[in-house]
Amino acid sequence: MATEFHNLQELRHSASLANKVFIQRDYTDGTVCKFQTKFPSELDSRIERTLFEDTVKTLNNYYAEAEKIGGQSYLEGCLACLTVYLIFLCIETRYEKVLKKISWYIQEQNEKVYAPRGLLITDPIERGMRVIEISVYEDHGSSGSSSGSSTTSSSGR
Amino acid sequence: MRRSSAYIPVSTAAALLVTSSTLFFVFTCPWLAVNVSPVFPPCVGIVFLFVMANFIMATFMDAGVFPRANEDEDKDEDFRAPLYKNVEVRGVQVRMKWCASCHFYRPPRCSHCSVCDHCVEDFDHHCPWVNNCIGRRNYRFFFLFLLSLTLHMVGVFSGGLLYVLDHPENLWELHNAVTLVVMSVSALFFIPVLGLSCFHLVLVARGRTTNEQVTGKFQGGVNPFTRGCCQNVQFVLFSPITPRYTEKLSERLPLHIQPPFHQPESHKLSQTLPIKSLEEVDAPDSKGLTCPPPLPPKPDPVLLKNHLAALEESLLQSRALMLSGHSMNPLQTSESPTKVLYQVPRDQMVSRISPLVPQEHASEPSLLQPENHAIALTLNSRSLSLKHSSRRGSQRAEIPHASQSVLSGRTGSLSYDSLLHPAGVQAAFLPMDPGLSHGCVDVQRLPARNCSPVFMHINREPSPVRYDSLPKPLMSSIQERREPDDKDKPLQDSGIYDTPSRRSLPQDLRGLSSSRGPTPPAYGSREFLLSSAAYGYGSRSHLSSSSSSSLTRAPRTTGSPLHFNRSLSPSIYQSLDRQSQLPPSTLPAPLPTSSYGPQKALAYTRGGERPEPEL
Repeated sequence: MATEFHNLQELRHSASLANKVFIQRDYTDGTVCKFQTKFPSELDSRIERTLFEDTVKTLNNYYAEAEKIGGQSYLEGCLACLTVYLIFLCIETRYEKVLKKISWYIQEQNEKVYAPRGLLITDPIERGMRVIEISVYEDHGSSGSSSGSSTTSSSGR
Repeated sequence: MRRSSAYIPVSTAAALLVTSSTLFFVFTCPWLAVNVSPVFPPCVGIVFLFVMANFIMATFMDAGVFPRANEDEDKDEDFRAPLYKNVEVRGVQVRMKWCASCHFYRPPRCSHCSVCDHCVEDFDHHCPWVNNCIGRRNYRFFFLFLLSLTLHMVGVFSGGLLYVLDHPENLWELHNAVTLVVMSVSALFFIPVLGLSCFHLVLVARGRTTNEQVTGKFQGGVNPFTRGCCQNVQFVLFSPITPRYTEKLSERLPLHIQPPFHQPESHKLSQTLPIKSLEEVDAPDSKGLTCPPPLPPKPDPVLLKNHLAALEESLLQSRALMLSGHSMNPLQTSESPTKVLYQVPRDQMVSRISPLVPQEHASEPSLLQPENHAIALTLNSRSLSLKHSSRRGSQRAEIPHASQSVLSGRTGSLSYDSLLHPAGVQAAFLPMDPGLSHGCVDVQRLPARNCSPVFMHINREPSPVRYDSLPKPLMSSIQERREPDDKDKPLQDSGIYDTPSRRSLPQDLRGLSSSRGPTPPAYGSREFLLSSAAYGYGSRSHLSSSSSSSLTRAPRTTGSPLHFNRSLSPSIYQSLDRQSQLPPSTLPAPLPTSSYGPQKALAYTRGGERPEPEL
C-alpha cells in the first residue's frame, strides 16, 4: 500500500530513461547535413512542436553554415596547401568552430528546454551525424518503483 | 586488425617514392642546378614535398568513418527491418542498405569497407598503396597525391633524361647508373599513375565515386549527387573538411534531469485525471504526512497565473455540478458532468492554458490545498499512464476511462469532491472528436467512439485501469497498428523514408517497386541475409513470425510462392507459407498486385548469382 511508504527516498521523484527517439537525416538535398524537421509522434506528449522544430531548424542552419563553400573555405584550402597541411595543427577550421557552437547550443537547449521536459538531445556528431538522438526520460514519481539516476551527462558514449 | 601483409604495398610505395626522389636530388639535381636552371631542383623539391604531404594525409587521415550505432538505435529492428530503405535525393530514388556490421542504414554514398570493417562516408575505395580507405574526408588528399605524383614523375623523368642525354659516354658511372635507375622506376609507374589520375579527374568532373563508377550505379540513370563540373571540382577541393566522427569527445557538464517534467499545453489538457483509485485514496495521506513535497524547478510566474485562473474557473464549475449531482449513482454522476462539459466547444477548452500540473503543488502551498492533492495525484497517475501508453491515441482512450473510474471512487467528502471534480472538469478538455461534444455520451462508451477500433480492447477493461497490467506485446501490437497510420503521409511523398521501427510489410514491397528504373542487381548476399534471417527467427519471440515476414516477404507478394522455388531455400519457403496464413489484420495497407511478383522473383533469381561487389 502506498500509505506505508513514508520513506523520503521513495517519495523523491526520480527519472529513468524510457525511450530514445531518433531524428533521421533529410537527404532530399543531397549529402549536405540536414535533419528532418518532421515532429515525431513519440514526443507529442512531451514537448511543443514549435520548440522542437526550432531546435532542428537551428541545427540545420548551423550545419549549412559549417559546410558552406565560400571565401573562408577557399582560404583555408589554399593556406593548407601552402603550409603543407601543417596549418591544421595550428588553427581551428571553420567547421570545428561551428561544431563548438553547435555543441554549446545543444547544451543550452538541453538545459533550458529539454531537460525540464524530461528529454535530452545528444549531439549528432557522437552518432556520426546520422541521427539526432533524443532520450526520453520518465518520471517514476513516488510510486515506489525503481529509482533510476536523475543525473545524466550529455557527453559521448 | 589488419594483417601485416596489408602493410607491404604502402611500405613499398613509400620506400620507392622516398628512395627514388632522394637519389634524384643527390645525384642528378646538382648537375641540373648548374647546367639547366637553378630553379629546376627547387621546383621538383616543392612538388616532392607536396606529394609527401598528400601521401601522408591520405594514409593517416580518417576517411569519414561512421561509428557503430548503439544498441538503442536499432533495438530489435535488426531482424525485422527491411534490408533496403529508399530515400529520395533530388528527385532520384536512392537505396540505403542496412549494414549488418554497423547496425544502421548506410547513408547515401556510404559503403562498408570489408578490409577496414567499418562504414565510410562517401566511400570511394580502399587504396592498398596508402593502406587506408578513401572517403569524404581524405579524397582530396588522395586526388592531389595522384596529380602531384604524376607531375613529380614527369619532373624526375625529364631531369634524368636531360642528365643522361648529356652524359652518354660513361653510362655505368655511379651518377649515371643511379639516374637511369630512377628514370626507369619513374617510367615504370608513370603509366598506371597517369591512368589513375585521369580516371579520378573524370570522376571528380562527373561527381562520382570510384565505388559508384565501378558498380555502375548511375549507368542508366541520373546521378543525383552531381552539382555540375565546376561545382564538383570546387566541392572536392575546397569544401570544409568534416570532423572525425570517432573521436573521443571531451566530457561536458552533467545535466540534471529531475522530474516533475513540463508538459506541452495541448497534452496537459488531456491528462490531468487520476486513474488509480488506490493511489487517490492513499496518496493524499502520505502527502499530508510528509511536508513539504520535493521542490521542482522554479515555476514560471506567468504559467502560475494562468493556472490559477484555470483552477478557479474549474473549481467554480465543479462546485456547481457537485451540488446538482452529489447524491447520484457514480455512473450517473459521471454522465452528468461530462454531459454538461462536453458541450463546451473544443477550441475554448484547448485555449485555456493549463500550465505545469506537477509544479503547482510546490509553488502554491497556500492556495487550494485540495487541488494540490488532486494535482499531485494527477501527476502520479499521469506518469503511470505516460509510461505505458506513450501513444497519443491510447492516452485519449484511457483518460476518459480513467475519469469514470475516478468518479466511481468518490467517497463524498468535500475535499475529495473538489479533488475529483477539477479532474472531472479537465476531462472535458480532452481533444475529443467533435461528434462527442454533443454530450449524452457516457464515459464508458466514449472511448469506443472516440478512438479507432484498435483501442477498443483497452477501453473495455474494468475499472480501475491498471496500466502496469497492460502487456508489452499488446502495446507493441498497438504501436504496430498505429504505425501505418503514421506512415500514410510519408508514403504519399515520392520518397519512402521510414524509421527502422516500421514493420508493415507492403511498404517493403512498395519501397522496392519504387526503386530506380533499371532494376538494381539483387545481390546474393541479400538472399543469404534473408535465408539466415529466416533460420534465426523461428526461435525468437512471438513477433518472430511478423519479423521474418518483413524481411522474407520483401521480395514477394501474396500468393505467389511458386516463383521463389528456385531462388529461395526450403526453410524460407516454409516461413513464407506461414506468413501467408497470418491474419489480414497484420497487413494494414493493401498489398500491391501480384504483377510485381514475377518481376521481382525473376530479378532475385538472376541477382542471386551475382555477388555483392563490396570493396
